[in-house]
Amino acid sequence: MGAPPSMYGKGLRPLSIATPVAFAITLALVFFYAPIEADQGFLQKIFYLHVPLAIVALCGFIVGGIFAILHLRRDDARYDAYSYVAIHISVIFACGALITGSIWAKGSWGHWWVWNEPTLVSFLIVFLLYATYYPFRYAIEDRQRQARYASVFAITAGAFVPLNFMAVRLSASLVHPRVFATAEGGLPGSMMLTFLCSIASMALLWTTLVKFELSAKSAQGQLKRLRRALDAPTGPPTSRIAPEVH
Amino acid sequence: MVDALVNWLFAAPAIPNDVGGKYVAGAYIVFVVLLLIYVAIMGMKLARIERGLRDVAEIAEARKDGADAGETEPAEVKS
Repeated sequence: MGAPPSMYGKGLRPLSIATPVAFAITLALVFFYAPIEADQGFLQKIFYLHVPLAIVALCGFIVGGIFAILHLRRDDARYDAYSYVAIHISVIFACGALITGSIWAKGSWGHWWVWNEPTLVSFLIVFLLYATYYPFRYAIEDRQRQARYASVFAITAGAFVPLNFMAVRLSASLVHPRVFATAEGGLPGSMMLTFLCSIASMALLWTTLVKFELSAKSAQGQLKRLRRALDAPTGPPTSRIAPEVH
Repeated sequence: MVDALVNWLFAAPAIPNDVGGKYVAGAYIVFVVLLLIYVAIMGMKLARIERGLRDVAEIAEARKDGADAGETEPAEVKS
């Protein structure tokens, strides 16, 4: 017994329209409205891409953990699928955050990576932690056990994300730029508006991709059901890691 | 070839001709490339689903034709 198939695709059309519109507005704000920063110059424009990618990825990991809690509480396979897809998309976003951050570091500090900078290293640790999610799932054959263990992993790792964030904020490094709630007053209004638009666009993109992925998985699940109903060959094997969505 | 492409890209008039310009362009290109890779993978997945649906539709149609033929045959024998 699962959700009706149309549920996963519900709202995908307005989201698919809203996301590119939001990105177009954001890019226009980034390159034509937000002022050039005095210290870093044009290079600071990476901030509007890198930071939203990182924030949305971290929030996505937490959302994955919340779905995992719902999965364990309600024993509903749908929440396992939500949790898996949320983590999957967040890993892609985190990968983007790491690469764009590295490019920013090279332009700003002259190095692709700085090992004594807690923000970078802690984000890498979170990324590597979630990179182990796939082999962890893959190692378990039984789907029920796989879903339960993956949920426990998602909750534990999801709880680690805010703790990690707080630890980094409390650290005393002066290398990584702190732009919010600083003694100097943080971002000016135009930059803050652009940044908030960037966050909103990135969150929209994340939601669209999650829904898109869920719809594709649902279609795959429906096809499998149809094959079973027709006693037809089940076709090429699908991923053992991904949960089946009906 | 790659050098020529990079030189052409960084010579684009929209990118400020300073040190930061090429890094900003690089970061945004990485983002677009990641998105394109994702879209390509999803495209392949959807193509596989479409292929599967076509197979299932063919099986269903073949069975329906078989069932229709089975229904008409006894009628022909009777007459």
